Amino acid sequence: MENLLPLFLIFLKVNLLSTSGPASVGLLYHEMVGSYVTESQFVQAVGFSSVLPGSDALQLAMYIGYAVGGIPGGLVALLASILPPTVIILGVTVILHRLRREAWISSFIEGLTPAIAMLMLFTAWKIFQKGGTDGWEAWAIGLVSMAGMLSKKVPERIVIIIAGVIGVLFLS
Amino acid sequence: MVWWSLLWMFLKVNLLSPSGPASIGLLYKEAVTRQLMTEAQFVEAVGFSNVLPGSEALKLAMFVGFAAGGMPGVFTALLGAILPPTVMMLIVSAILQRFQQSNWIDGFVAGMSPAVAALIVVVAWELFRATSSKTIDRRAVLIAALSAGAFWLELPSPLVLLGAGLLGVLLYGQRSYG
Repeated sequence: MENLLPLFLIFLKVNLLSTSGPASVGLLYHEMVGSYVTESQFVQAVGFSSVLPGSDALQLAMYIGYAVGGIPGGLVALLASILPPTVIILGVTVILHRLRREAWISSFIEGLTPAIAMLMLFTAWKIFQKGGTDGWEAWAIGLVSMAGMLSKKVPERIVIIIAGVIGVLFLS
Repeated sequence: MVWWSLLWMFLKVNLLSPSGPASIGLLYKEAVTRQLMTEAQFVEAVGFSNVLPGSEALKLAMFVGFAAGGMPGVFTALLGAILPPTVMMLIVSAILQRFQQSNWIDGFVAGMSPAVAALIVVVAWELFRATSSKTIDRRAVLIAALSAGAFWLELPSPLVLLGAGLLGVLLYGQRSYG
């Protein structure tokens, strides 16, 4: 229970500093893994949130919140993820015409984006390294998955499910 | 517009799309063909959703909801966007926590890890390319290199991100977004 407040603040911070669900993965990893959830739980969270339909960001929050503090944890993480965009939208719809001239906001995001991309690369590498195996099997799964996703012919969630099933069959 | 039909529209969009970005297409079809928004309004909403912090699918849904019915529309959109993913994820979380000690979960995660890492790399690349200028310019590369160095030195990531944003304000200055 004493975890709920820090959980709320972390999700608030992550959702204020990232503009979309996938972009929040890097930041969330740094804040959560090791102190609140295990590497394995984080991978499950990212994997399943991209497999299930609906917003990735909310599912990620739900899963990690649940892992930390059961249903109350899930709801707290959800609330903290919903609050920043909702408050901002309610504000923006009122002052929309004025905000349009504030070019520094778009410049801020323009600068933020490359940094978020880098953070995600670092996170991807850590997840890869600690995934239980980093032998040739992991490289093969990773490279084939990336090729599949980049080709745009196979939906990402199918790639992730197949990779998981291969893991159950050959890596356990 | 009747509230339950608006709610149903958002539920449908969120049940049919695997992720935030994927829902844009579906939402566009619903919002523009039902004449809740003009095409220009929708494009503007997408622009704002990408720029403002927080989940972009959620923000886009709220913009459409506002256009359809003011403040009650915003909350209808919020409810429709939140319910499907969270209910499903709650069930999956509860099931997975129970199996956390099983062997097959270890195997599943071991197989999924490289694929998840690949997914993150792909999304990072798309994000990097999709900055509003559409071309990778020197300033973006500079910010990327500096922040990579900062992450390498293990500086706190929220600080690095804030710094990168401020650097963006300095480098890109007063330029209106597209």
